[in-house]
Amino acid sequence: MTRATSKQQQQGFTLIELLTALGIFLVICGAAFTLLGSSQQRYQTESQVLTSFQEARLGLDQIVRDVNDAGFPPPTFTDGNPTHFASSPFAWSSGSGYAVTRCQIGTAGGGTCTTATDSSPGDFDLIIETNPNPQDPSCAPNCKVQWIRYQLQGTTLMRAMVDKGPTGTDPDVATSPNLAPFVQNVVNNSTAAQIAQYQLTHPGMFPGGNPMPIFSYTCDTPSAPQPQPPPCPGAGADNSPANIRDVMITLIVSAPTPDATTGVPRIVQLSGRGRRVNPNQ
Amino acid sequence: MVAASIPTSEGRHITTVNARSTIRKRPSEAGIALLISIFILLLISVVAIALIVASGTETSLAGNYRSATGVYYASLAGLEEARERVLPKDPNSFKNTAPANFLHSPGNTLAIGEVRYVLNPGPTENIANILAAYPDTEYDNEFGGGALAGVVAAGNRMTTASVWNRNPLNSLPVPGPLYKWVRINGITEQSLNLDVFPHDLVIDPKLVYYDGTNLNDTGSGSQVLEITSLAVLPNGSQKLLQYLAAPNPLNLPNFPAAISLAGNSANTLPANSLSYSGPNSASFNVDGADSFHNPFGSCTATATVYTGIGYTNTSDTSQANIKCCQVTGHPNNYLGTGGVKPNVLPVTMPPTLQTPDDYNKLVQAITQNADVILTPGSSTTPAPYTAYGSDLTAATAGMANTNPMTVVINGDLDLNAWNHTGYGLLLVTGNLNYDPDATWEGIVLVIGKGTFTGTKGGAGRFDGATLVAQTVDPGTGAPLASLGPASITFGAGMGGVGFYYSSCWIKNSLPTASYKILSFREISQ
Repeated sequence: MTRATSKQQQQGFTLIELLTALGIFLVICGAAFTLLGSSQQRYQTESQVLTSFQEARLGLDQIVRDVNDAGFPPPTFTDGNPTHFASSPFAWSSGSGYAVTRCQIGTAGGGTCTTATDSSPGDFDLIIETNPNPQDPSCAPNCKVQWIRYQLQGTTLMRAMVDKGPTGTDPDVATSPNLAPFVQNVVNNSTAAQIAQYQLTHPGMFPGGNPMPIFSYTCDTPSAPQPQPPPCPGAGADNSPANIRDVMITLIVSAPTPDATTGVPRIVQLSGRGRRVNPNQ
Repeated sequence: MVAASIPTSEGRHITTVNARSTIRKRPSEAGIALLISIFILLLISVVAIALIVASGTETSLAGNYRSATGVYYASLAGLEEARERVLPKDPNSFKNTAPANFLHSPGNTLAIGEVRYVLNPGPTENIANILAAYPDTEYDNEFGGGALAGVVAAGNRMTTASVWNRNPLNSLPVPGPLYKWVRINGITEQSLNLDVFPHDLVIDPKLVYYDGTNLNDTGSGSQVLEITSLAVLPNGSQKLLQYLAAPNPLNLPNFPAAISLAGNSANTLPANSLSYSGPNSASFNVDGADSFHNPFGSCTATATVYTGIGYTNTSDTSQANIKCCQVTGHPNNYLGTGGVKPNVLPVTMPPTLQTPDDYNKLVQAITQNADVILTPGSSTTPAPYTAYGSDLTAATAGMANTNPMTVVINGDLDLNAWNHTGYGLLLVTGNLNYDPDATWEGIVLVIGKGTFTGTKGGAGRFDGATLVAQTVDPGTGAPLASLGPASITFGAGMGGVGFYYSSCWIKNSLPTASYKILSFREISQ
């Protein structure tokens, strides 16, 4: 009896083959990891841009909501206690003269709503006066009106929310100690050199090479009513914080670090508008 | 391997082998292409997923912004619809389109616990279920837990469809704004959590009113309505916005007298002097003391005494023209300020009512807010274009003390044999011929030709205020540079009870220009 079997011949790799394969593998791996690294850097940059963008988006929404509600409740609603009503939809700093001594809005460095320490309302500073939650059971009756302040300090937009003080309280003094970081990496008020650098990659931003105001305003003109409120600095005698109708908000935020692959700063601009609906005071 | 033995004749066995399992071909295992392919695929997948996640986040952010903005304006659309439809003169007014008593007639308020909803279901939603699908939790926040359930149980919740669910807008191929409902109700200090005027430091459950300056709980002025709108987008974004609104009456001047004759105060010519001649009737009075004849609603007359007949021209013969004849013959029938009899005194009109142009603006403002505008033409009435009582009756169906109307007659009005009572504001730009069968409760303005006549008998009266001013030449209709000689010429035999000042009737008859927004806020959810 015979048994017919078939065995396949198994030859090994030669050293040359192995070295060649290893070399090719290393080259491909090197290329792949280089690609992965740059992808990782790009991903991180994009993540940072998105984080800044998202933070700015939330900040913008909050500012718009606060501006929409500014001036609630009007003085005609309550007793003579100024902490129970909004003396003006937008508070300003005038020493102890608030809310009697009105000033002119200080955009583009002008206006008289300016003291040594603040410029509210201005390009980078705004104090909103409203009662965000009048029916809060914890403060019944007569919940206090709040001062909500937004102020740019360096590249951080700060926010403060404090109870409104009695007549004569300076809103600037009351809100300053409570400012807390709100939106970071805000580059609206950059130096001329930084703006020039931003404009290399974003030529449409920072028109004229000037800092971009976060807040710009339109004012009602009770002295000569017009269908559309004009920009406040042109509103003449009506250029008063009490007459602000619209607040246009422009936030330019950057990623904390420049683009890892190209080295250029990544910035995003967001725009929004809040419109006060509550009546003039 | 299975072997089988087959016996042969020689006694030997032959063994066979099953060939099926003997040869297996092995695949070639040379190269690493597969590994590299898998690795590169993996790499590309990771990068692709990262990019998709990043772009997805960005899309979500943009979508979030769009939703937030969209839902805000959708909710605002609901507020504005309700604010407009509460006006009686609006074509879609609740008065005409909603169930009876949806809004009470002028002078009556929406009591606490009376809640009205405007429902705006989408194309796939059922109007009957909209309040169940999108419940109103805010009402209980304001009026206490279970308050809305109490309203429903008491049958005090009424609903009506939005303009987007009514003809003709419901046949549009595009959907309307995405608000779901708008609530209209009265408010109290408690629901506001505010101590309004008077500042008694007590948070009352009484209705809140607006008197033109302040909110108050004394019943002064008009009721403040709270309008709350909920908008919900298909993606679930929600927004609750709220107005407090109150009727904003047309800003008419203060009437200084029961009858005011307005002319050019600088005039010295007798021909341009104002004139008045009254009837020789002992029962005909002109009384400046504030009163409220046929009262209704919550208004009460003040203790103020106004002038009986007031005139503006002090340098011409106006006083002599008025204070003579039947007036001086019946001094006790002309009563007013300071007890002067007959009470014919100079008055000053407001600075905004000095020139013909000022009066034309007033006429224009009233016309824009009028309920009825009659322009008698040659096709219906003979020249010189006169409207008659029958025209007035036909045009003012539904006019009542609870439904005062603003009626503008662009021409002459002859009330001969009009045996009715009118309510509201009557503006006549031509001659007003009065028949004392008629009574008018409210404001009567004769601005234009500035002539007011009457000869018939009757027992009718005027309660409110009357103002006569001439801004055009009565003969040619040409506009005047300064106010002309307005005149009231009642025949000596005319009847009637007279003219009585009434601040309540003046207030009730002021045209509502709009519902003024007293406050606005966004309710956090």
